Amino acid sequence: MMGAAGEVWWAGARDGLVSASCRVRNWATIAHLGASLGPRRLRVALRKHPWLRKLLLVNRLQDRLTQSRCGAYRQANAILVSSIADTLREMLEGVFLHPDLTVVHEDLVPPELLFGMGLRPWMAELLGIVLPMLDPRACEPYIDRAEIEGIPSDLCSLPKATLGIVLQGQMPAPRAVVSSNMPCDGGMAQYTIWERKLKAPLFQLDVPYDFYDERAVEYFAGELRRLVAWLQEHTPGRMDWDRLREVCDERNRAVEAQIELWDMLRVRPAPMAAEPIYLANMVYVVARPGMRRSTEVMRSMARLARENLEQGKGALPVEKHRVALWNPPTMMFLDLFAWAERTWGVSLLMDMITFHRHPFIDTRSEDTMLRDLARIVMQGPMARHTRGPADNFFRDLFHLVDHFGLDMIWMAANVGCKNTQALMGMLREKCRTQGVPLLVIDYDLLDARVESQEGIRSQVDRFMQTVMRQERLS
Amino acid sequence: MTGMVGGCDVGSTTGKAVLIADGRIVGSAVIASLVDPEQTAKEALRAAGASVPGWAQGQRLDYLIGTGYGRNEVPFADENVSEITCHAVGAHWCNPSVRTIIDVGGQDVKAVGLNADGTVREFAMNDKCAAGTGRFFEAMSRILRVDLENFSDLSSRATRVIPITSQCSVFAETEVVSLIGKRHAASDIAAGVQAAVAKRIFSLVKRVGLEPVVTMTGGCAHNAGLVEAVSKVLRAEIVRVTVDPQIVGALGAAVLAERRWRGPRGQAGGRS
Repeated sequence: MMGAAGEVWWAGARDGLVSASCRVRNWATIAHLGASLGPRRLRVALRKHPWLRKLLLVNRLQDRLTQSRCGAYRQANAILVSSIADTLREMLEGVFLHPDLTVVHEDLVPPELLFGMGLRPWMAELLGIVLPMLDPRACEPYIDRAEIEGIPSDLCSLPKATLGIVLQGQMPAPRAVVSSNMPCDGGMAQYTIWERKLKAPLFQLDVPYDFYDERAVEYFAGELRRLVAWLQEHTPGRMDWDRLREVCDERNRAVEAQIELWDMLRVRPAPMAAEPIYLANMVYVVARPGMRRSTEVMRSMARLARENLEQGKGALPVEKHRVALWNPPTMMFLDLFAWAERTWGVSLLMDMITFHRHPFIDTRSEDTMLRDLARIVMQGPMARHTRGPADNFFRDLFHLVDHFGLDMIWMAANVGCKNTQALMGMLREKCRTQGVPLLVIDYDLLDARVESQEGIRSQVDRFMQTVMRQERLS
Repeated sequence: MTGMVGGCDVGSTTGKAVLIADGRIVGSAVIASLVDPEQTAKEALRAAGASVPGWAQGQRLDYLIGTGYGRNEVPFADENVSEITCHAVGAHWCNPSVRTIIDVGGQDVKAVGLNADGTVREFAMNDKCAAGTGRFFEAMSRILRVDLENFSDLSSRATRVIPITSQCSVFAETEVVSLIGKRHAASDIAAGVQAAVAKRIFSLVKRVGLEPVVTMTGGCAHNAGLVEAVSKVLRAEIVRVTVDPQIVGALGAAVLAERRWRGPRGQAGGRS
């Protein structure tokens, strides 16, 4: 029998081993990318796309997300970072080796359709999301470039940074660009510049304003059909409905694992938290749905949560508070929750981008697939929240408070998001009426010059000390 | 003397100290901040102690709480507590029916919503720019060539309010200089400055939700013109606290110090 000290030693050794093996995997991923491109193409790629160098920081990201975590929670984070690195490698190989098949799509255009057509989707906003994860200041030069070119400084920094990369000539050239009229003016406005700068044909989906009825579903499914026809005209992609069915079935399997994970999160203490919930969703349900790897990652997250649950363990050593994060997560401070966990015992269980109500796609026919994809986009996160009546923004939030037994809401109040800033007064009033403490974090999504990580920590500290009347754990 | 506790609020422009014994304020002081926050705290406590009969200088307090921006630089304090909490406790001690506090200090402005027990329900603050703070008033009074006390009187003599449209204190300064150049009356400009600051405070208070009774704390609460302008935009009476509004943060710290020292059972020396 192993004594208590032995168990602690073994747990520590296992945690160390997990980190070490993922670190090796990450280096192997980088080496794999280099080998696939070959020395000449790699040299050209590094010169034309200097942001590629940021990939070398992947192990630093892994450390930030794993070092303060232990056991299954640490393992989930390590697996997640390694998987994201490898997914990124696959996507980059696609962009550099098969530019003819690469289609840039906005994050609210269903990539399942592109996979079904044998195309290689590249989510337009991906770099703006991934780069600050690796280096919190990585997007600043691109934001500046966009502003110098006349993009208004009060625009959301995600489209600004993305545009900056395009204007800097550092965005890989795609065969075509597909966007929609969502989620905001800033996002929408950037695509005309994309079209001009990259000289790629552009298609924009029209999402109806009022989307909770069958007429809207019918209309938007028609838009998706129009998109397929347009892509067939402008790219070598051809729709293979059986392939689309496989993609949708695979997505269903990943979401099944996700829902199992969500069910487990209702338990106190929650067996999983933060990145394995929201980051896994962002990459494997939003950006890369329908891939086998997506299902594997989501299943791993659920399996590791189950492991904790069966042992009666929480993800955090001390879960004092359960929180939902509203608005997109703080990408320039990705380890906010790693810090908040050890400082205040705050467990992040759900967020605006992750929570959805239309999990599965009916794959019986072309029509059912298109209609469900239409529902997923129109009534999904971000789209629903930034369009239609204000109630769309609040309904899910207060449902989550009850469903997951949350004791506070953190609002990541990105200064560049006019849509949600306009709702802030109503949110404050609703939280006041319902007696739910609300922390509004004033910051910029990608630009630490607006509010530093230290400033964000101070905002959290002040709230936890004064409103929640808590003392620091560490 | 035993059972004496203290609160020390080390602010950006002034240091404030309050000493309490048997639930009563026995000494208080407001001094200009020194370069070193620790020295500011020491000096404020010394000045507060000087007015307490039988209190020997250098005698240790039974419990001391530090607050304000420089609170972490007061190593001899038993504890540090955020100024938001201290203002809430101090205002509640003065008047338990207070539900909204507007604290206009030297470097920031806060609106604090209180629960019935004096705990903080919600707060909002502007600590990113100088507009609407004591520093802003200092700059404005300098341009109008009056001291801070006379600035308030000046605005009360205004026959009209000249709108100041600039949100930023730097631009507001330029705007005021140009208004002086256009030979507008200094009193009307001063009233415009008060109104501009009141508008900023209004939006801050809206964030926490206005709930009467409303009070103002901080050094700028001495500015009667500002209090009147704030009352006007909020359409609410601003109730004065029963002590110098500038010491409310230090008072709250002292009240908390007494609670800590007495412990949960209200017995002296219960700090453990």
